[in-house]
This record gives sequence, C-alpha cells and structure tokens, in this order.
Amino acid sequence: MMDAARQDEREPAVAAAELADPAREPESRRRRWSVTSERHFASRYAIIGVWAAMIVVYAATEPVFFHVRTFQSIFNGQQPLVFMAMALLCTIIVGEFVDLSVPSVFVFASTVLAVLVVNHGWGVWPAAIVAVAAAMLVGVINALLVVKTGVNTIVVTLGMGTLLQGISMWMSNDNTISGMSPGFQKIALTDVGGLQISFYYGVVLVLAFAYLLAFTPLGRHMRFVGASREVSRLSGVRVDRIRFGSFVFAGLLSGVGAVVAVAALGGSFTAASADVNLLPVFASVFLGTAILEPGRFNPIGTFIGIYFLATGVFGLELLNANVWISPVFYGGVLVVAVTISTLLHRRTT
Amino acid sequence: MAHLSKSFGPARVLREVDLQIAPGELHGLVGQNGCGKSTLVKILAGVYTPDHGGSVTVDGRALALPVHPLEARAAGLSVVHQHLGLVDDRTVWENVRLGRYRAGRFSRRINHKEEKQAVEAVLARLGRHVDVNEKVGALSAEDRAAIAIARAMQDHSPGGGLIIFDESTRALTKEARARFFDLVRSVIDGGASVLLISHQLEEIVQVTDRVTVLRDGVVVEGGIPSVKTDEASLTRLMLGRHIVTHSRVDSHAQDRTVARVRGLTVRSVSGFDLDLKQGEIVGLTGLVGSGAVAVAEALGGARQARSGVLTVGDKDIPLDRQRGSTEEFIAAGVAFVAERRLEQGLAAELSVAQNLTLPRVRSRGGRLRIGGAWQAEETAAMIKKLDIRPPDPHQPVGTLSGGNQQKVLLAKWLAGAPNLLVMHEPTQAVDVGARHDIIEAIRGAAAGGCGVLVASVDAADLAVLCDRVLVFREDRVTAELSGELDADTIIHATFGAPGDAAEPAQRAGDHDMKGVVQ
Repeated sequence: MMDAARQDEREPAVAAAELADPAREPESRRRRWSVTSERHFASRYAIIGVWAAMIVVYAATEPVFFHVRTFQSIFNGQQPLVFMAMALLCTIIVGEFVDLSVPSVFVFASTVLAVLVVNHGWGVWPAAIVAVAAAMLVGVINALLVVKTGVNTIVVTLGMGTLLQGISMWMSNDNTISGMSPGFQKIALTDVGGLQISFYYGVVLVLAFAYLLAFTPLGRHMRFVGASREVSRLSGVRVDRIRFGSFVFAGLLSGVGAVVAVAALGGSFTAASADVNLLPVFASVFLGTAILEPGRFNPIGTFIGIYFLATGVFGLELLNANVWISPVFYGGVLVVAVTISTLLHRRTT
Repeated sequence: MAHLSKSFGPARVLREVDLQIAPGELHGLVGQNGCGKSTLVKILAGVYTPDHGGSVTVDGRALALPVHPLEARAAGLSVVHQHLGLVDDRTVWENVRLGRYRAGRFSRRINHKEEKQAVEAVLARLGRHVDVNEKVGALSAEDRAAIAIARAMQDHSPGGGLIIFDESTRALTKEARARFFDLVRSVIDGGASVLLISHQLEEIVQVTDRVTVLRDGVVVEGGIPSVKTDEASLTRLMLGRHIVTHSRVDSHAQDRTVARVRGLTVRSVSGFDLDLKQGEIVGLTGLVGSGAVAVAEALGGARQARSGVLTVGDKDIPLDRQRGSTEEFIAAGVAFVAERRLEQGLAAELSVAQNLTLPRVRSRGGRLRIGGAWQAEETAAMIKKLDIRPPDPHQPVGTLSGGNQQKVLLAKWLAGAPNLLVMHEPTQAVDVGARHDIIEAIRGAAAGGCGVLVASVDAADLAVLCDRVLVFREDRVTAELSGELDADTIIHATFGAPGDAAEPAQRAGDHDMKGVVQ
C-alpha cells in the first residue's frame, strides 16, 4: 500500500526546470553520478580492503605468516568450500531460501564414492559417476518437494540434510573410509604453478558461473526468477523449470566437488564434517553479497569471501592456536555480513 | 476531526487533508487506487507518522501524533481492516479480547469467565447473539463481521468514538452486506461515528450520510450529502477532469483482423467473443468484479480460463491450459501490461535495461550470450521514445517514480513490437506528464498495426484512446460504445441500467453481442 502511495510521487518543478534548461542537466547528473559511484566503489571493495589490512596486521604481528607456505595452505584447502558455496548459490539466486542440505549432500557423495571403491572394489570412475548421480538424485527429490509440491525449502532441506548424514554414517560405520588409489589423487593434487590443481577447478567454476549469470539468457532468467516469480512468469520465463534445474545442478556441483575432495583427501568425509562446513558455506555466500555487487548474491564475491574467511581463521589460529577461534570468527562474520548486505540492499530499492 | 499531510521522501502523498465527521454520522471516503486513502488510514491507525502540523481530534480530544494505539483506543478511535483481522481457529471471545486480556495479578492467568462476560456485554450492545465459545472460522460472514465490529467498539464509551471500516465489506456477499450495514447502523444509533472506506460506490451512495472524495492526496469534495450525489458523479470527482492533454484522433483501425477471441469463459463471464482489427483500440470497462478485468487477464496469459481460444495471426492459443509461463503468448506476439507494476510487471531491484529486455533475452540473444548491443540499442530507443527519467539504463527500477516505472513496463512490451497489446489500468497513479507520454505510445503502437485492448475504469482514458468500448455488467457485455466517445457516456453506461446507454452517437449493446461490426 505504501507503494501505491509512493507512486503518486511527482516532481513537476524539477521536471520543468530540467526541461527549461537542458544544458544544466548533464552537469548535475554527472555530479550525482560521481557521488554515488564513490559510495558504490567503497561498498564494492570494502571487504577486499579489510582483507588486505588483515594480511598486513597478521604479517606484522607474526612474521611466520608472511610465507609462501601460508598462502599455499590457505589457497589449497578451500576447494570443497568453493563447490559447496556455488551449489548453495544456485538455489539462492533463484530465490530459494535456503538449501541447508548442501554440506550433507557433499558428505553423502564422498561416502558413496569411497564405500564403492574401498569396500566393494569398484573402479574409481564408475564409482565417481554413481556418486555424482546420487547427489543429483537428492537434488531432484529436493526439487520435487519444494517446486512441485510447494513444501518449505528450509524444512525440506534441513530434514534431507540430517537424513543423508544418517545414511552416510550407516554406510561408513561413522568412519573416514580411506584407501583410494594414489593415481586418483592426481586429479586434485597435481602441482600447477605452486598450487594444487583443485584450486583452479574452483576458479574455473566460479568464472563460468559468473559468466552464466552476467551474459547468458539462462542467467538473466535466473536473476529474474530470484527477484520475482510472478514478473518472470508473465514475461515468458519458465519459472518452475528453472527452479527445478537449480536444485539438480546444485546436487551436481556438490557431487563433483565431493569427487575432487575425496581425491585430495584420499578418503571420505565423516558425517560430522557436514555440520562443520555448514556455517562457512553460508558465511561466505552471504559475505559475497557485500563484495563487488553490493546487496546481491554473486559468485565472484562469494569466492573472495571464502578466501577472506580462510585467511582470517588461519591467521587467528596462528596467533592463538585455539579451536574456538574458527566458529567465533565464522559466526561473527556471517552476522556482520548479512547486516551489511541488508543495509546495502535497502539503499538500492 | 483530522487535518493531515504526509510525505514520503520528496513525494507528498497527502496534502492538507481535512476530514470532518459529525457525531453519529456514517461518512464515506472514496478515491481511486493511489489517491492516498490507505495512507490516511495508516496514519489514523498509527502505522505512519504524519508531517508536522497535522492534528487528529476525537470527541474534542486531540491525540498526540503519531497516533499511539493505546491512546487511540482510550479516545475511542478504532479501525476494522479489510479482512476483518480475525483468527479463524480461535474462539469468539479470544478474538474480541485479543490484545486486551487482563491477566491475574500473580498467576498471570487469563480470567476466562470475566473475559467472556465482557464479550457477551459488547455483543449485546450490538444486539447480536453469538456463542462466545464458538470458533470464529465456523461462523457466518455476517457474524464474523459482528465480531470484528465488537472488537473495534468494545472500548468506546457509549455515545462517542469513531470506527473506521477499511474495505471491510469486500469479502461479504450482497445479502450479508445488507445485514452488515444494519449492524453498522445500530452502532451509529448508539452515538458512535463511522468512516466507511469502499470501492463499492453503490453502497457508499446508499448507506452513508455524507461522502468525502480524495484525489491525488487532496480532498476534492468534503462531506457532500449522499442524497445529493450518485455513483456517476462520484466517479467523475474521483477521476477528476484530467488536464486535457489529448483530444481524440482519427482511428488507426484497418480492415485486417489481428486477433480473434472465441468462446472465452473465465470467472463468471461466459462465451465472450471478440474480433480485433489491426490498429484498433478497444476498451473493456465495468465495475469491480464485472468481468472486464478477468477477460483482459485471460487474454494476456495471466489467468487460466475455463475455455476459449485466442487466435493471433495464424496461431491458436487455447486459454484453458495451466501454463508455467506466458511463453506461448509472447511467441504469438501478445503483450500483457499488468496492473500491479511492481508485483507482476517489473523487478524493482534489477535495472531498467534488464527489465526492459527480459521477454526477448532468449529470442534475440544467442544461447551462450545475450549480446550487449541490441540491449543497449533497444533500451536507449525506448528511453527516448517514452522519455523515461532519469535516462539511465542501469538505474534499478525501484528507484524510479511511479510514472517512470509504468513507462518502463510499457516499453518492455512495446519494444517487442507486439501484435496484440493487452493492458490493465495503463495510467493508474501516474502524473499528468507520464499519462501524456503513455497515451502517445499506445497510439503509436496502434498506428503501427498493433491491436490494443485496454481494461480500465478510467473513463477519461478510454474516451480519448478507444475506437470502441465494451461495457461489462454482471459478467456480460451489456453495451458497446463507439464513434465519438466521451467520459460521461462511458460512466453512464457503466452505472446505468443495461441498454439505456443509447444515445445518437452510440449503439446500445444487446446481451449476447458477438464481436463487432464497425
């Protein structure tokens, strides 16, 4: 109703002034542009600035920090998180709030792969295909429940996540199943320019996702479905198909991410690691809304968010090697990031 | 009793609105969507803070602003909202006493017996006998209305106070409405005053004592005695005499038929047929619920019909399918400009360019790349054509004024060069300048050979735009007006008895009229 009232808005005086003096208009517009763009610049790159400052502070207080090995361990360890965050982004961008099952699907796929290979003697590649297919099947089930049946996303994915953790525990007897062939490890651990190849998988995935959203018809449609289903539907966008596809694609990303991560680790993830990963995944996706495209979920911002958080935790652990640092940092950043992005979003609409 | 202004940012939504309601009076308040009614109610309900210098007085007692709910209650000012605000799976007494429960001093328990007695007393004042232990969901519509009224008036001291009904009758059937007003009368006979806000002009004229008309945030007529007015003249006051920016121009209608509707059955409209020529502009009008809007929505793809086929060019589109999107309509060249622009038309957080090009990103873009050039070109052309301000394609649509949003919405569809353009209230709540540009653009589309359907209650718009106007009454086309149209004739046909719109320039319609003969 307030919108209806606002639509009454009229500024005949301003409009008249602009009409009367066309020469004045470009100048005033230019001035306005520079003011907003400065503010825009600040909000786009603020987190990146904080990141740089953080590195400087760490390096100053703990000289060990500023070492090639530090950066290697920060950059090499995040591949699982990158894939999970992109999987979450798939559904969050089309307006599904929020898929809590992502880390469990990841653990589930890793368990399927390891159990088939180690306990049942399957070849690595057939097992990997089955693991990815299983993750996609979970995406299909989520989609059927959420999109076709209309059940609340949070409830469905919360239940699904817990269910999959339980199944993973049962399959693995709640152990890490290791014993993958060393040859398989190469797909994740091969050294490329000082970093593991799995880091580059993440980079390629993020860039491809960003391209999809920015430049393809599908990406534009996804953005609109996320912004308003009714507007999209009346503009000829097949809303439900896109929502369905997002869930399935999220499953695919979790599955593929899990295959690479199993190769890197040499074994499966424990069911408990799903709980450990949940918050970092969410923290980085929401932190991403405060980077590059303020107030909007975006892949590159999320990617930077992941490394921002990894740097923060690594440094804090280095300074004060306590276990409690990481949840405090992740939790705190999530709350702050969501607050900032909500404020930014309010300003643009 | 109230003297108020209200601004949102640079927009003044209410300007020196003065509302005087006499004791024991049933006062009506009418106005188009976006005229400021809702804002006024929200100020009185304490949701919004009015601009400095306003005042609200009830029974001689000035309220502090913003209105505080507890103080309003004490002064005897209460609001009954559109859906009555009842909780269906709770009992009558719980609903009436909601927010007023008196808890025991130490136990903090609700004293059921006392509460129920209080509720019975209020209902007795209304002269209704309802079991206070009954669940509200199980009650008839009029009993529910009585419960809502009881809740509103329970704190009023007898012989005073003001109850505001904000579209409260919308959910009631005709019969229930009559009994609802008997109830309202009994409240007034008890000495309280009532402010009735309604879109149903008929009931406003019949039941109120005086009427105030609000337009564009200004009172255009304060307290006209209802016996001295009728629906048609109220409509004229609500719409206002638009500054005459347009006179009729020659019709662009050509001989070739561009769209054909056969056997459309939607809501309670049945068997609607229409032939629309290239360049022809046809209006669909009628009171709320008359079927004109449902027909437009069905033809635009926004609403599933029970039967019917729309033929555009050589494509037949069955209208009775459930569809995931309007893809098929768009492919056939059908464009639908929805009424609620920020819910159905545009995504506020996305940019002008993104919104404008959305229906064509797949057809004009490659699979892997939308392509920037055509988007920039199309957006720039439309910004220029409709004079969208600010002329910045990257501005989020939500930051534009209402008139400019409406232009973006129209541009979004015009850029696709549609064969059939269906619009619902294309100039609602836009300023004079925007209205001018929008009407020009619609005419431009017609001149280019597009068939246009305009569903609107704005007779002034229809008069300057349309080649013919189909008037709906109670789910049927009861009149077809053509030739030299003027707003008064259209209003008269909308409110008048079926068939009495016959005047020299017009032809009265018959009930099962098929399409058209020019």
